[in-house]
Amino acid sequence: MNEWVIETKGLSKKYKGRYAVSGLNLRIAKGDIYGFLGPNGAGKTTTIRMLLGLIKPSSGSVHIFGKAMQKERLAILRKIGSLVEYPSYYGHLTAADNLEAIRRIIDAPKTRISEVLDIVGLTKEARRPVKGYSLGMKQRLGIASALLGNPELLILDEPTNGLDPSGILEIRELIKRMPREHGITVLISSHLLSEVEQMAGTVGIVRQGELVFQDTIQNLQQQAQSSIVLRVSDPQAALLTLYEQGLDAVREGSLITLEGISDAAAAQMVNNLVTRKHEVYRIEEKRKSLEDLFLQIVGEGGHA
Amino acid sequence: MGMLTKALSADFLKIRRKGLWTLIIFAPFGVVLLQAVNFGLRYDYLVKEYADDLWGGLLHNIFMFVPISLFLGCVLVSSLLANVEHGTGSWKQLLALPISRLTVFSAKFALSAILLACSCLLLMVFSIALGLVLGFGWHFPLPEVLRLSFYPYAGALPMLACMLWLCMTFRNQGLSISAGIVTVIASLYLPAKYTWLPLNWPLLAFRSEQGELYIGAGILTGLVIFLLGSVHFSRKDVV
Repeated sequence: MNEWVIETKGLSKKYKGRYAVSGLNLRIAKGDIYGFLGPNGAGKTTTIRMLLGLIKPSSGSVHIFGKAMQKERLAILRKIGSLVEYPSYYGHLTAADNLEAIRRIIDAPKTRISEVLDIVGLTKEARRPVKGYSLGMKQRLGIASALLGNPELLILDEPTNGLDPSGILEIRELIKRMPREHGITVLISSHLLSEVEQMAGTVGIVRQGELVFQDTIQNLQQQAQSSIVLRVSDPQAALLTLYEQGLDAVREGSLITLEGISDAAAAQMVNNLVTRKHEVYRIEEKRKSLEDLFLQIVGEGGHA
Repeated sequence: MGMLTKALSADFLKIRRKGLWTLIIFAPFGVVLLQAVNFGLRYDYLVKEYADDLWGGLLHNIFMFVPISLFLGCVLVSSLLANVEHGTGSWKQLLALPISRLTVFSAKFALSAILLACSCLLLMVFSIALGLVLGFGWHFPLPEVLRLSFYPYAGALPMLACMLWLCMTFRNQGLSISAGIVTVIASLYLPAKYTWLPLNWPLLAFRSEQGELYIGAGILTGLVIFLLGSVHFSRKDVV
């Protein structure tokens, strides 16, 4: 009956009378990559810590694989690989020993260590103490640790934080492969939409501890309507022509802006303008980027 | 039990090159070395003083620094051990693994107890070696040496449980270490007549007529503090 890999109901966490997370209803489907978005301090990490049973919710519930976190924490964690906030590692140990320290607890086969090192591309550096690693390498070691137990669910909290563009690309490709090749469900948090929009199927956006958007990325994109901007020889007269056609146009200086019009209407409009001897200098489509939309969603109520 | 051994083996791996083994070896060496100097400088005087029981005299002198060394050992071992996880924010990774908090806490306690026990074993070896070097002969009182090495250890378990909980709970090791050092110094000035005070138990376990009583008390109290600590550790939020 329960097809959600992660489902939270009214999940809340209160710190000193202030809600860091409140009434969160997350739903994450199997095999999906879920982008968990929000500005810094919106409650992403707090939520993720609750999903991993590191902190206890003040109220509400977490169900993962259909099991209640409160009751079956260990059974759930056995199938989760996680990376929380900044990378955790034992600096004095080599990457291989770091993984070995985890392997001894989760009881994965020894061969798995070289496998995950290979997946994240750390095989050559595996015998060096981790304290000499770059941030990107530490981050990749974190992902290797998360993959060690062959998880069914990966929870990655800002895995690309502090990485350079090529490192971000690398990790993005790595994460994209997970559902495809291993059937793993992924929850990835970020404060940048651009970072997850190319891989996520679904996004959830939190603002000040509340979930303000949760839908597929396509539906988010549809909300990002486009507008058409015209520059013509006589904007005032052209505006009248457009009104005659029944279009809702707005003039700003020498530019005319039309919101969300169809291809047919656009063709008709251009035809009308040309037959009335208007000189059309520019026709541009302005697409509100997802980032704009994201900022709008995140910003709404921010000043309320 | 299976999980505990797994956690323990992971912990043994993590303490490599962390200075813990150095501490474990050099602490008892230092305690015995002090007496090597003492007996070396005043050999004739001390040998006359303890003429009827040379080994007894040596052990008596060695013991002077055993309780305080044990207490300091509890502080340092706990702190070094906790720092393995505090240092690079590894608690969140460790506790998100499929392992109960109780097991994690128990493994840390077991590890620190094992490490201190190793020190005590070495204390026994070094003590015997010093006696032999000083020419006190092969007829050393083994039961007495064993008492010297392990009775105070049992008496120090409450301190170990306390320090371990403190060091694992607070990220700031300055705080835990200060609290530990203050306690250790206080233990030097507290009169031994307060037999109910756990800080006196390492001393009493060796010196008192009813040493076994203080061993029992030490193990029991240590266990109770450990259990209280583990309950707290299991419930706290990991930030």
